[in-house]
Amino acid sequence: MTNYKIKYILLTLICGIAFSLSANPVYVVVNIPAADIAIIRTITVASEPDYPPFCIIDKSGKADGFSIDLIKAAAKAANLKIAIKIGIWNVIKQDLENGTIDVLPLVGRTPERELIYDFSLPYITLHGAVFVRRGTTDIKSVADLKSKSIIVMRGDNAEEYARRNNISANIVTTNTFEEAFRMLASGLHDAVITQRVMGIELLKASGIKSIKPLDLQLNEFRQDFCFAVRKGDIKLLAKLNEGLSIIIANKTFDDIHLKWFGPTLKEKLSPYDIIKIVLYTLIPLLILFFSAYTLLLRREVKRKTKSLQQEVLEHAMAATALKNQQLLLAEMEKGTKVGGWEYDVAKKEFTWTNGVYAIYGISPSEYNIKGKIKYGPARLYHPEDQKILDMAFQHALNEGKSYDLTLRLNSFDGKFKWVRTAGNSVLREGQVVRIIGNIIDITEQKETEADLRKLKDDLDKLVEERTRELNEKVRKLAKSQKAMLYMVEDLNAVSAELKLEHQKMEAANRELEAFSYSVSHDLRAPLRALAGFARILQEDYSKSLDNEGNRILEVIVDNAKKMGTLIDDLLSFSRLSRQEIKLSLIDMHGLAKSVFDELVTEADKEKIEFTLHELPEAMGDPAIVRQVWINLIGNAIKFTSTKPIRIIEVGFFPRENEIVYFVKDNGVGFDMAYRNKLFGVFQRLHNVKEFDGTGVGLAIVQRIILRLNGQVWAEGKVNKGAEFYFTLGK
Amino acid sequence: MNTTNLVEILLIEDNPNDVELTLRALRKNNLANNIHVVNDGAEALDYFFATGKYHDRDISLTPKLVILDLKLPKIDGIEILRIIKNDARTKSIPVVVLTSSKEESDIIASYKMGANSFIVKPVDFDKFIVTVRELGMYWLLLNEPPR
Repeated sequence: MTNYKIKYILLTLICGIAFSLSANPVYVVVNIPAADIAIIRTITVASEPDYPPFCIIDKSGKADGFSIDLIKAAAKAANLKIAIKIGIWNVIKQDLENGTIDVLPLVGRTPERELIYDFSLPYITLHGAVFVRRGTTDIKSVADLKSKSIIVMRGDNAEEYARRNNISANIVTTNTFEEAFRMLASGLHDAVITQRVMGIELLKASGIKSIKPLDLQLNEFRQDFCFAVRKGDIKLLAKLNEGLSIIIANKTFDDIHLKWFGPTLKEKLSPYDIIKIVLYTLIPLLILFFSAYTLLLRREVKRKTKSLQQEVLEHAMAATALKNQQLLLAEMEKGTKVGGWEYDVAKKEFTWTNGVYAIYGISPSEYNIKGKIKYGPARLYHPEDQKILDMAFQHALNEGKSYDLTLRLNSFDGKFKWVRTAGNSVLREGQVVRIIGNIIDITEQKETEADLRKLKDDLDKLVEERTRELNEKVRKLAKSQKAMLYMVEDLNAVSAELKLEHQKMEAANRELEAFSYSVSHDLRAPLRALAGFARILQEDYSKSLDNEGNRILEVIVDNAKKMGTLIDDLLSFSRLSRQEIKLSLIDMHGLAKSVFDELVTEADKEKIEFTLHELPEAMGDPAIVRQVWINLIGNAIKFTSTKPIRIIEVGFFPRENEIVYFVKDNGVGFDMAYRNKLFGVFQRLHNVKEFDGTGVGLAIVQRIILRLNGQVWAEGKVNKGAEFYFTLGK
Repeated sequence: MNTTNLVEILLIEDNPNDVELTLRALRKNNLANNIHVVNDGAEALDYFFATGKYHDRDISLTPKLVILDLKLPKIDGIEILRIIKNDARTKSIPVVVLTSSKEESDIIASYKMGANSFIVKPVDFDKFIVTVRELGMYWLLLNEPPR
């Protein structure tokens, strides 16, 4: 047993060293915040039933063992929930690979397995051993195994080791270690290769006493035992590592170790053992402890570093933002001709933005080289404005008064400028410590203002001029209006007069009507009596009268008749002006023809060469237009009566928009000198002896034509005939 | 027998010269039988309606023809026309207006009031005789008045 304990201590030592060696890289690679893992579901752990004292089943059938306690503690420390199921090694190995479970608590780390799993810190290191039946003597070295038949558990480290190192030509596999031991015990094959500790424990548990381990070192079969997760399940691995570190650091690991391996140890402590314990147990534990502590420290350092980095980053960002703002300011100043400045009272020093330099017409570098004192901006301003500025600045400096001034200056690059500058004092504890202000180039604005002012002046002048012109026009217009008013008044007066005249005329017309009525009755009655009684005298008393008496009677009768005709003509003439006109389409050709036929006697007809052209129709009152033809054709017949050859022509010709009708004859004609008298009432160009007539006919013609809005005129020559023309208005 | 009862022609005319000339013309044409002459409008109405000095006249005996001048004293010809043409007793008596005037207003008014003819007295006496003959012949011999 002592032998076993020493070996165990050795194992522990190796395990501790291995752990401290491997801790670093594992830790660095995996650094996941705890918060992330908290979300992880319950972790499923699968345990073997027969790998004492690491993985076994207790009396109630639950998983138990060193590795089980360890993973429970680690999980708890890492705040993980776990569920444990039990299965045989070959199955659960497969389960982890295909994801049915999450963790195997006890897996020896081998190159083959590293391809399919990820491993936690190794928490224990074990060595393999060769188990033989008691009495076996022909196996003294590993090389002796070559010709022997070897049993290993399928998929166990041992199998991998045996095959890797080609230990034997004859390797037999079993499902469990127990089966392997029982086969060996029953005399089958020659040896079992498996973990020493586990093998011994298992033989003890199964009561097989015919098998013992050989004192043979299998250098190649040394194993670091770890928790294994699926390849790539880094988060879970990190968590398990963290838990493992914690339980190692807080001694839980020791308690568990003590529980499974420890009690028998203390019972038989010799001074040698004590030294060994000190040497082999405390030192590795210390190393383990410091390793864990280092881990925690590293974590802390890392955290601090990160926070510092964050701070540095924030500073850098703030600096960048400031820089950007300065750039923006510079950009803005470029566009707007604005500058900002500051005066530090204590330092007696100005700070200008680029805008100020631009307004002063000098670059910052140039200004600084040439010297602030030599070329102070003070020299730039117009002397008068300089005084104002100085005074304002002094007030700001001494009394904290703000100012806002518009000033003239000549910039360094020799340009005249208008600027507006403002200054505001900054007070601290009643003392002016700084003056901050701005300056704006308002030259363009000023120029624009001047232009605008000029434009306005020009406009004013123009408006004034226009107003004057307009006033003149208004005055003239007023004058015209006045004149118009007078005219309207005159017109009103005239129209009033006209109205009066019209009324007078109407009255006159009425009188005329009464007059003509009277004439037609009262003038004719005596005439009739005259003619009638003269006739009676002729009839009844002609025998009593001599020839002269009868001639005189005849004269009386003739004159009475003539007067009757005269009265009739006169009445019809006066009636014309009162008669209503009824317009219709007139067949002028038919009308002229019927009139001629009516007027001409059979005797005359033979003597007259009458030509009637096809006359176009006309608009007019047929009754009165007939009278026109009667009078004109009648005249033609009458005034050609003295001619041997009598020619009368009735025709027309178009003129502009109207038709001119005419009656031409080759009669006695007339003297054009008298043509004005031709159309007058009772105007005659021939005496009654030559040609009978009352002198009303042409007057009637003219009156009719005028009433129809037409024209009538005549041409003629004495003895060469006459031509009468007329048109009918539209 | 009262002559006024046998009247064939009633001549209403104020101008004695015209009365004489008219009667001569009628006589020359043998139409002068039973002519009665009244000299103004009032007398004419008395005659028609058997009033005044004609009160004893038999109103049912109406003249065959009335020759009416328009310009009359007291009541003018148009008014007489209006009255007799609006009275059932007299409206069927033919009335020929024989006047000096050719005024259209007279002609229109006459026909409107129911005149049966409108004839202008010609100044020429020969024509006057012809005119009277023609009107007498027509109205007295050719025309068949209602009985």
